[in-house]
Amino acid sequence: MMVSLPDGSRKEMAQERASIEEILRMLDINPEEVIVAKNGRIVPEDETAGGCDELKIVRFVHGG
Amino acid sequence: MLSEEETRRYARQTLLFGEEGQEKLKRSSVFIAGAGGLGSAIAFYMAAAGFGRIRIVDCDAVDLSNLNRQILHAQIDLGRAKALSAYDALSGINPEIEVEAVVERISQDNIKELLQGCDLIMDGMDNFPVRYLLNRAALESERPLFHGAISGYQGQATTIIPGRTACLSCLFPRAPPPATFPALGSTCGVIGSIEVTEAVKYVTGKGRLLENRLLLWDGLDSRLEEMAYEPNASCRECSDVSAKAVGFTQIGQR
Repeated sequence: MMVSLPDGSRKEMAQERASIEEILRMLDINPEEVIVAKNGRIVPEDETAGGCDELKIVRFVHGG
Repeated sequence: MLSEEETRRYARQTLLFGEEGQEKLKRSSVFIAGAGGLGSAIAFYMAAAGFGRIRIVDCDAVDLSNLNRQILHAQIDLGRAKALSAYDALSGINPEIEVEAVVERISQDNIKELLQGCDLIMDGMDNFPVRYLLNRAALESERPLFHGAISGYQGQATTIIPGRTACLSCLFPRAPPPATFPALGSTCGVIGSIEVTEAVKYVTGKGRLLENRLLLWDGLDSRLEEMAYEPNASCRECSDVSAKAVGFTQIGQR
């Protein structure tokens, strides 16, 4: 599974299917600060990913 | 019916959506939450475009550290309520419209009253707790919410149409931890302008809205990216409200 991280870098993760929440925990990323797209679509944290999925993790902003 | 002066004032945009579209903007009443960086860009462009009634709400006073980005306010406004400074700036740019300035903090207790009579909700806030209040009010009253947020060179925007799209809580189920954010005026300009473009399209019935699409702006890389999203069946805010909001019609289609 290929994962794009908030800093723009990419990382290959070889593992069993896991929930987005677990994947974020493995990557030491606070789920409160990011949104995650699986194969181009934003998904909730309880969605699972693995295999050939492409994940993109984006830090969203809150200022105005 | 547009006056002769209005016909001249809006001549370049009636080329886009005709006098009929301009009259729809004139009949629209908008609520702008915040007169800060985002709110400044939103309010200026909405006033100039001729949205007929603008209610702008902010509880803060103008500080010197605001002036790098909050273009509604000038050096002479330091210490004044932002909403009042906004009133002067907006009335100055377009005396044909009605501007209402409200010096209040948006809260659970006053949001319904503040939104009374407004057709569109513009997000110029700087925090998620108030955005969630706007989202809930949008869902309950079936008004569109035009979301935007910024930090530094980054920004995001999307359009929430109750009954047709996911809501803000589907997309951002939890508020990020509060933090002081860096702010560049031009980023507020990019995102505020996108929100206004969405509102113009919504009212005039033109184009394709940012429905169920999150637009992400990365100014450092000069890149716009889009991500699709959809309603979350377990959303705490809209999973029960959206079912009730089926009869919603766009203002532009009335």
